[in-house]
Amino acid sequence: MDRPLSPFMFPTWYRFQLTSVLSILHRLTGIALAVGSILLAWWLVAVAAGGEVFTATHAFIVSPIGMLLLFGWSVAFFYHLCSGIRHLAWDAGHGFEIRDAYRTGYAVLAATVLLTVLAWLYVLLA
Amino acid sequence: MANSRPLSNSTALRDESMLRRALSNSTALRDESMLRRVRHLGSARDGLQEWRLQRRTALALIPLGLYFAASMLRLATSDQITAAAWLASPIPALLTILFVLAALAHAVVGLRSVLVDYVHTRARLVAADLLVRAAAVILAGASMLAVLKLFLGR
Repeated sequence: MDRPLSPFMFPTWYRFQLTSVLSILHRLTGIALAVGSILLAWWLVAVAAGGEVFTATHAFIVSPIGMLLLFGWSVAFFYHLCSGIRHLAWDAGHGFEIRDAYRTGYAVLAATVLLTVLAWLYVLLA
Repeated sequence: MANSRPLSNSTALRDESMLRRALSNSTALRDESMLRRVRHLGSARDGLQEWRLQRRTALALIPLGLYFAASMLRLATSDQITAAAWLASPIPALLTILFVLAALAHAVVGLRSVLVDYVHTRARLVAADLLVRAAAVILAGASMLAVLKLFLGR
């Protein structure tokens, strides 16, 4: 039977709402961070290897694409962290009311912005 | 009445083999749990261990991740000598290794749950899962070797 399956329900059948968008973002940032671990391992190996490997890696990181990836990594990381804490609270049995779900959802978004701004202020000023 | 029992038994057997054939190449937890429910074999899989691993690594990654992200965002653009000196010192070296291991274990469980949702053929699911695990092992090995080289070579 050709039933529409989960991800394809979205544009046509489901209305976007904060809770579902945050849930999808948790997955997407999780996948992005998993892919990012390749770059992290690459960077660690480059530091250990030194020489030309590090020079090339460093050139890539400080390029516009590299900086964009680094910034994206930080946003994904802080979002997944805050959203993950929200998930852990659910696992512990807290915050299931719809009103709480919205409240904590907005809190996660605010905390993500705050942590990202703080982290980059720390990077740029220190 | 006397032959109703063997009859219902054979019906159940036929149902089970049909069910098994129908589901042999599909994925999803529910297939196995349905078969097991038919056989009264209890819980479908050992998902609890994965669930626990996911939550425990999540807890560990809160402090490890905050420490690592704060350090990493600054180091990412620094020169090799600064980065190498940081990775060679004991506490950053230890916490970096722990962060990478916890993150990759967390990623393997998380990616598997994504695969289980969207890969609907058993052979493909097994292949994708193996690929994810192999990648995680290689990345963990490479990261640890890199940090250990710097730590031991200082």
